[in-house]
Amino acid sequence: MMKMTGKAFAKKLFGAKYERLPRTLLMDVIIFWGLYIAGFQVQIAASVRILMINAFTAGVMWQALSSGDNAVELKHMLMLPQQPKEFVFSYVAALGAYTLLTKTGLLLAVLLAVSAWKPIEMTGMAISMLHGVLMAAAAYSLRKYWYAGGLWAAAIVSAILFLGNRSWFGLLLLANSIVSILILWKAEVYAFYQCESEKSHAIKQRKRGSLWRYFFRYLSRHRNYLVNTAAMWCVALVMPYFLREMAGLSVVPVGFAILSLNTPVCILLSCDRDLEQAVRFLPGQKGCFCVPYCLFIFSCNMAADMIFLLSWQIQNGGVTVLMIAGAVFFALQSAVLSVLLEWFYPIRGWKIESDLWHHPRKYVVPVIMLLLAGAASAWPVLLYVLLALLAAEIVILLFIPKGRS
Amino acid sequence: MGETLLTVQNLSAWYNVDSGGQLSQLLSPCALKRTKSRYSEEKMILSGFSFSLAEHEAAGLIGLNGAGKTTFLKVISGLLPTFRSENIRFCGAPVDFRKQDFKLCRYTVFAEDNSFSYFTFREYLAYVCAAYGKEVTDVPELVQGFHFEEYTDTLLRELSTGNRKKAFLITAFALKPRLLLLDEPVNGLDFQSTEYLYKLISGYKEHGTVLFSSHILESITLTSDRVFVLENGKIRQTFEGGQINAEEIREALHDENDR
Repeated sequence: MMKMTGKAFAKKLFGAKYERLPRTLLMDVIIFWGLYIAGFQVQIAASVRILMINAFTAGVMWQALSSGDNAVELKHMLMLPQQPKEFVFSYVAALGAYTLLTKTGLLLAVLLAVSAWKPIEMTGMAISMLHGVLMAAAAYSLRKYWYAGGLWAAAIVSAILFLGNRSWFGLLLLANSIVSILILWKAEVYAFYQCESEKSHAIKQRKRGSLWRYFFRYLSRHRNYLVNTAAMWCVALVMPYFLREMAGLSVVPVGFAILSLNTPVCILLSCDRDLEQAVRFLPGQKGCFCVPYCLFIFSCNMAADMIFLLSWQIQNGGVTVLMIAGAVFFALQSAVLSVLLEWFYPIRGWKIESDLWHHPRKYVVPVIMLLLAGAASAWPVLLYVLLALLAAEIVILLFIPKGRS
Repeated sequence: MGETLLTVQNLSAWYNVDSGGQLSQLLSPCALKRTKSRYSEEKMILSGFSFSLAEHEAAGLIGLNGAGKTTFLKVISGLLPTFRSENIRFCGAPVDFRKQDFKLCRYTVFAEDNSFSYFTFREYLAYVCAAYGKEVTDVPELVQGFHFEEYTDTLLRELSTGNRKKAFLITAFALKPRLLLLDEPVNGLDFQSTEYLYKLISGYKEHGTVLFSSHILESITLTSDRVFVLENGKIRQTFEGGQINAEEIREALHDENDR
């Protein structure tokens, strides 16, 4: 039964014939060799490496555990009579394998390619990966005692930071992994099932169907997206300090490009298949839906850019009209490109939301923005050209011959 | 019944087997240009499907699971580009299901729909009316008929399956498009609402044409002027007027099952 439960979840996550596995592993190998041959090397302290692997693995595992798609699968599985312990371990094993092979594997390939490592450190990294999975699963099963979970996580992060360079540190992680296994041994199956909230939100009676309101509701009901937006604002606050240290005024466009990295708001259609069907089926949605959506992303980007400019003015002074125009360009251009990508190439074939959040397509627009920012930093006059091109682009998009919509 | 509204001749529609989902084909413009050599990788759903709908009629589609009812409604709704047909005409002229002028003439209620889940019904209705450029008048009557008064200002995502279906049905009947497509409209509805829906479908002929799919024989016999029995992606039998009775249709479906 344990094998069958694990297989059922694994097939959902890796595809019916596990076709996703070889594809992902091939990608990891390509990335490893690409970076290794490029000869790009950085020095990374063992503690930082362990922290990165642990935090990334635990974060992805947590996302997988709290995924809405998994909740549906879990609901059907829980309806069947199960052996609780077997069920918990096969469920955690399937999600853990998914996390390690499809997500952490990529990080590991990058770390191994760009930094020097000894075989003993490799063992440490493997233990870290397992530890991340087990600890996230154990903490998730105890999430009603969130304060205890928080303290536990803080203690482990502190231990990694202060003791992570010691050769015996792997043993500490192993000991903590055993504690996690014991917690999972005692865990209730239903501790992993997140039932939908029955809470009904009182909505003020409105006669207009404003998409702005729709987008704000969407943003406010997704805690992950709010956290991401708040994190971007924090980055916007501190970034002027670092950019001034680096090269002064000319790197301001790089700041705007980095702040266009608020990717969760840019995958509205990819993550909601029914909404995508509806906007393709209703008439006039190229204008009615895409324009407000573009302006919404622009507002999110621009809010971060304004915080960045205010912080720059307070810390360094000298904010000019051209800088504001630059902010408008990067915020609007990235919004336009994001909406075009969502309309023409929405992300498909994802298994759970976590795939969507880490999909490489999400980073296409930020990379383009970074390249443009690099060029604008080198030749500031380019910004005028880019602004003119953006204006032309918008005119063309708004006046595309009407027809298929 | 009036003049011919929609004619479809020899329609074939398919899904890519390796696509990982039907929606993955929504926006693939090259799908229509595929050559026959690719057909081995495609799952044919409709094949040699021909039929016509008249103005001001209520037509029912019935068939076993997998017969192609939903696929056909998706083709007309412009959601499946992987199809070809010898001739498709709407009001006598060739039609592109994804063109704005056709979209403005039709509305579809899907069997399962969780779209615009952060709108309330009232907001959704206003949004759809704006998209169709229409002002609707008889909403209170429809809301009352479906016993939906309590839910007009609740987010669609917080409604039960049946109530969400009601929200889309009320929108459809308030909008009164020339061609109304309903995919399994009865599923999830309570008894009273089902009765009210039958009344609405029967009365829709005043405004336009309604084509709906159903597994429930009663819903077809009580409301339809014509019944199309689908089997393996094509229309096997058509019943009209006095021919429409539960026994005959049940027999046709049994034959289909035995074949």
